Amino acid sequence: MKRKKAKDVQRGIWNKETLSAIDNKASSGKHRIRGCGSTRAMPNFDDIVVLPSQLTRMSIDTYREKCDTRTTLGSRSAKKPLVIETPIMISGMSYGALSKEAKIALAKATAKTGTVISNGEGGLLKEELQNSYRQSIQILPSRFGFSKDNIDAADMLEFLVGIGAKPGLSGHLMGEKITEEIAEFRQLPVGIDLHSHPRHGDALGADDMVVKMDQIRQLTNDEVPIFMKIAAGRVKDDVKIAAKVGVDGIIIDGAQGGTGAAPVMASDHLGIPTMPALVQAVKTLEEANLKEEVDIIISGGIKDGADLAKAIAMGADAVAIGTAAMVAMGCRVCLQCHLGRCGFGIGTQDKKQRENLDIDQAAQKVANFIKGMTNEAVLLAKAAGKTKLKNLEREDLRAINTEASAVTGIPLIGTDYVFSESFGYF
Amino acid sequence: MEYLDAANLQSRELNKLLKQKLQKNKELKLKNPHSLHNIGIGLEMGEVIIEGNTGFYAGGFLNGANLTIEANAGWYTGDNMMAGEITIKKNAGCNLAVYQSGGTIVVHGNVGSRLGYGMKGGTTIVCGSAGMWAGQMILGGRLIVLGEVGREVGESMYKGVIYLKDKAVEAKLGGNVFIDDLNKEEIKEINQLFSHYGINEEASKLQALRPLTSGRHQYELFEIDLQAEEARKYSSKSLEELL
Ligand SMILES: Cc1cc2nc3c(=O)[nH]c(=O)nc-3n(C[C@H](O)[C@H](O)[C@H](O)COP(=O)(O)O)c2cc1C
Repeated sequence: MKRKKAKDVQRGIWNKETLSAIDNKASSGKHRIRGCGSTRAMPNFDDIVVLPSQLTRMSIDTYREKCDTRTTLGSRSAKKPLVIETPIMISGMSYGALSKEAKIALAKATAKTGTVISNGEGGLLKEELQNSYRQSIQILPSRFGFSKDNIDAADMLEFLVGIGAKPGLSGHLMGEKITEEIAEFRQLPVGIDLHSHPRHGDALGADDMVVKMDQIRQLTNDEVPIFMKIAAGRVKDDVKIAAKVGVDGIIIDGAQGGTGAAPVMASDHLGIPTMPALVQAVKTLEEANLKEEVDIIISGGIKDGADLAKAIAMGADAVAIGTAAMVAMGCRVCLQCHLGRCGFGIGTQDKKQRENLDIDQAAQKVANFIKGMTNEAVLLAKAAGKTKLKNLEREDLRAINTEASAVTGIPLIGTDYVFSESFGYF
Repeated sequence: MEYLDAANLQSRELNKLLKQKLQKNKELKLKNPHSLHNIGIGLEMGEVIIEGNTGFYAGGFLNGANLTIEANAGWYTGDNMMAGEITIKKNAGCNLAVYQSGGTIVVHGNVGSRLGYGMKGGTTIVCGSAGMWAGQMILGGRLIVLGEVGREVGESMYKGVIYLKDKAVEAKLGGNVFIDDLNKEEIKEINQLFSHYGINEEASKLQALRPLTSGRHQYELFEIDLQAEEARKYSSKSLEELL
């Protein structure tokens, strides 16, 4: 009998990745930073199926009949709620993490599809605002490039508390990406490794945020919807507190959420995945009788129309996409975003590399992707007998494995059993 | 001068009235502010004299107006301020001048912790003492403290400058800053500020705190400190016993 070669031996948890992680710490004594967020397998919307209409309901013709996707966000107390043509938002990815060209392409895509883009941490690019259909502005703990002028430009505001890829941590932008342009935009020295402000200096706790909210409402004449973006953790408590603070809606970013740079530790081991976070948020608002008032935007690993349809069915009002939009422009998820050497001209500040991104072509691709994704969701909705995407409901869903059933409270296929707290009709 | 009585007003009503009245009157006096939150936010012109204490966020997002608070000011006063002037005759709470990007704030008394957190521009002068973490992660602007400062002053400041009179500052520095002398230009400018605001002080007596930005790795962040030698005293056997 021949001996197995060393490389063919099964090593269980001592696989290549474990070894490389140990080697890395052995030489640096530090934790590792990486782009893109978690690569772990987690329960997700693929574990859910949509039930088609048959004899119980009439199906809607995929090819000839309409299904409405127009979405209104923030009508709880904003005088000018945000109306978008499809419930897909482009999430806040900073100018700095992304190139100027990528930001402009994403903004242009929103104009082609009638949706909203969020600016992200690095301030508001003039070109982004000029090209976007609707502009969301983040209020972040660092406030890079932030002022009253930004608030005036906003169609929606996002009070940022955390993101799914690194909840409890602040923004990272590695020195490679802090070029002169970015440094000037953010008021930073060139080339430093940025670990930005950890907490909002002007609202240290939830009680202060109530007063802060009143301030921002006054400054916007009560017109602009105000959302709070939170990373999925203690979703039930956080959603209750956010609702009490007085937001119009909540953006929940699950553990699968993307990032330009984050400690691998944070991406892989902090926070709960997107789908169960959504379930808990919906339940909490329903229990508080606020589901009709407070909108939910869910993000973190949303990649196609099926995710969208299922999220809507579970109670989301819209989804937000980050990584998927980058992929539509050409990103191949190399996990090296933090190094700023993106040959596609997306996650880089290098002048040469930036030339590789054709803005109009990229914009068209992202627009196509958003349209295609909407199309997919609509296909599922119509097959389930809906003339409005938002009419999808939990009762239209089943879980294909016990785990998904247990985390969502949606019955397992082939049964009427729910393997946990029930969610809705059962 | 016209008086406005805030005793029975919510901040929203008050701010609307202030805005309206300042279109016509250049100056206004505000009676009975009773520590109301959000007084005078975003005001663009005119002068308001507040005869009493203010609550949170007085003069937040101030954009050109001139506020005088005759007594004490609450937390977050002058937050996100862009232009104009705030004068506080007594003390101010924590997080004064947080995210200030322009204009001038002068406090005659003491202030709490986190003075000027994330400040980006403008000037804030504290004639009394400031609590801990003053000037944390500032991106620009000038902070001047004429009394004592608390610990960790200037932690991770990226840009901007902090002028201090506290001679014991060396023991209270945050990370990534160094103590420097003021140059002639600075001394001149600050003395001008002092005389403009009637502050009896001399700039040449101050020291400057500046960010260490000579290279990216100068940014010394939190490091795990494993003190193996220190820990030996907790072990049951001494090294000699073991050998
Ligand atoms: C390159 C990049 C930069 C990001 N920058 C920010 C940011 O500045 N502010 C923020 O709130 N979220 C930021 N995020 C997180 C996204 O807003 C969003 O929560 C996340 O990408 C959603 O997950 P997905 O990428 O799986 O769609 C960033 C994400 C990426 C991929």
